Amino acid sequence: MTAPADNKPLLDVRGLTIEIETRRGPAIIVDGINLTVGKGETVGVVGESGCGKSLTMLSLVRLLPNKIKVKGGTAEFAGRDLLKMSKSELRQVRGGKIGFVFQDPMTSLNPVMRIGDQLCEPLIYHRNMSKADARKRAIELLRLVGIPGPEQRITAYPHELSGGMRQRVMIAMGLACDPELLIADEPTTALDVTIQAQIVDLVKDLRKKLNMSVVWITHDLALIAGLVDRVAVLYAGTVVEDAPVGELFARPTHPYTRGLLASIPKLSDEQASRLSSIGGTPPEPGRRPKGCPFAPRCALAESVCHESVPVLESVAGTSGHRVACFVAQRQMKEAA
Amino acid sequence: MTMTPVNLSSTVADDEPPVSLWRDAWHRLLRNKLAVAGLAVVILLAFVAVFGPWLTPYDFLTQDLAARNQAPSLAHLFGTDDLGRDVFSRVVYGTRTAFVVAIVVTTIAVVIGVTLGAMAGYFGGLFDRIVMWFTDMTMSVPNLLLVVVINASLKTPLTAWMEARYQATLNPFYRETIWVDFLLVFGSMALISWPPYARLVRAQVLSIRGRPYVTAARALGLTNRLILIRYIVPNAIGPLIVSVSAGLGTAMVLESAFSFLGVGVNPPTPSWGNMISDGLRVWQHYPHLLAAPAAVLGLATVAFSFLGDGLNDALNPRGSK
Ligand SMILES: Nc1ncnc2c1ncn2[C@@H]1O[C@H](COP(=O)(O)OP(=O)(O)OP(=O)(O)O)[C@@H](O)[C@H]1O
Ligand code: SF4
Ligand SMILES: [Mg+2]
Repeated sequence: MTAPADNKPLLDVRGLTIEIETRRGPAIIVDGINLTVGKGETVGVVGESGCGKSLTMLSLVRLLPNKIKVKGGTAEFAGRDLLKMSKSELRQVRGGKIGFVFQDPMTSLNPVMRIGDQLCEPLIYHRNMSKADARKRAIELLRLVGIPGPEQRITAYPHELSGGMRQRVMIAMGLACDPELLIADEPTTALDVTIQAQIVDLVKDLRKKLNMSVVWITHDLALIAGLVDRVAVLYAGTVVEDAPVGELFARPTHPYTRGLLASIPKLSDEQASRLSSIGGTPPEPGRRPKGCPFAPRCALAESVCHESVPVLESVAGTSGHRVACFVAQRQMKEAA
Repeated sequence: MTMTPVNLSSTVADDEPPVSLWRDAWHRLLRNKLAVAGLAVVILLAFVAVFGPWLTPYDFLTQDLAARNQAPSLAHLFGTDDLGRDVFSRVVYGTRTAFVVAIVVTTIAVVIGVTLGAMAGYFGGLFDRIVMWFTDMTMSVPNLLLVVVINASLKTPLTAWMEARYQATLNPFYRETIWVDFLLVFGSMALISWPPYARLVRAQVLSIRGRPYVTAARALGLTNRLILIRYIVPNAIGPLIVSVSAGLGTAMVLESAFSFLGVGVNPPTPSWGNMISDGLRVWQHYPHLLAAPAAVLGLATVAFSFLGDGLNDALNPRGSK
């Protein structure tokens, strides 16, 4: 299901490194992430809270908070490096070519603006639409994301809508200008379980209709299993495993990924589907271990793990399954 | 891991009809008793300020030397002063002065403060540091000292210039030295009044700038100007309204302080300030000369402050209980 190898990916992130300025000096938060998203492909980015998922995505459109800076790497989008674009070019990409849906629908909409006006703004700005045309399109978009009575809802303020409705509005905003790539940053975390499934289904449906690529960030592997083509597992700002979704579920190779999958025994067991069942906590920025970032929590850790950092290598006999783990890589070689 | 089928027309929870933010806010305001009381007083005073001159029983300048320093009576509700002028009429005229001073000064101060504060907060960096340097400078010099210095250095040359213009043009406009008064009073009051607005707005913008909906707006590719005007300033406006409303009252108090120091609006135009300062000299003998203007000034200040608090609660759509 991955994009054909000869086809250039839509998004190609290489060696992306992000630093934060702290009182004790700069600390690395994201350490050389590699991530590709093919045309029409849906990629899940999974990892526990604080591993750098949001910052990675925000850095692509250069929206990092003040003290956080990209220190290295490239991020090619349709052949152009987003990290080197001019401000005006970048503004065309934002909203126009890359749409965002954020985590918290309660705080991601302007509380003092009608949702219709918020939807019209990018249309007027990016597509030079007249107010009347933008309004028509806004109604169309609200209908597209399944909001009943869009003609009336367009004049509502965010606080008049439920969380699920607001998240639909956010998705409509992300889709307003027919982006080639939709980045959804934990769009369902703040919602009820039943609404979560509705939103996943909505994006699944829209992705096909609009033929766009999607990056879906989540804590929750189970939620997106039926949605994504490929999964990148993030740990402490690095990709530790990257595989087609079926392959990942069938043959999780990195100890961290196995931990994640082991912690979702039953879908109904909501608590267990959180990632907290792996003992310990990820390293704080500025306190990264010298070797493998997972070593302090890894049951399989050996002395080499504390000395040097494993890099992503293909898993033998698969296409597009890569893992960064010394022990897993050695076991594969022994088995071969 | 089966997913429920897509149901694009599914309705979720709330079905209340959309209500306008302003109508909503108005209803919330009306539920707040203190705010309603404040609003009523402000409306009454504003009415007096506009129509007062047609309502007063006496002209504010008419002297009745036979009826000097009279205590309040039916003929003179607030009594008369040392020249036999009706104090009630003078308080009524003073209301107009107070409103003109308060509105003009606050408007100038808010325009300067909001513009500089919003830009400083949003863009940060060097611009922010320069603006903050100016606010700190202005706020660190004692207000009244600054005003006295401005007045002392500018009043005489300005008045002389006006007189020269009158001689040259015979335009009666230049005879009215009241314009010099107003210019100096307004100018210096605005000068010391804008920094708190700038600070408030800057702090608001700094906190709002990082809110998710601002990041979301930037992720939509909107321009800085649009984001400032449509996303940041409207969300910063609640506390600003409180502070503007209270500021109108403060400006009235400030005008009185100026008059007391002899740098305010000059007699014979009645202002509460110069009435209070006149009253202070004789209050042991004629307390009504101090009490009448002081009570009205106090009432106005409290009314503006209650109204401001009420508006803040009312305008915050999420804060509704
Ligand atoms: N504005 C900020 N200031 C300081 N540190 C930040 C800021 N934003 C993020 N961080 C830090 O950067 C790291 C990565 O943050 P990021 O938001 O990318 O994590 P995440 O994977 O999206 O987590 P979550 O699942 O909780 O959203 C975290 O350790 C966080 O503490
Ligand atoms: S490299 Fe070592 S520490 Fe890291 S995940 Fe593999 S076994 Fe564990
Ligand atoms: Mg996040």
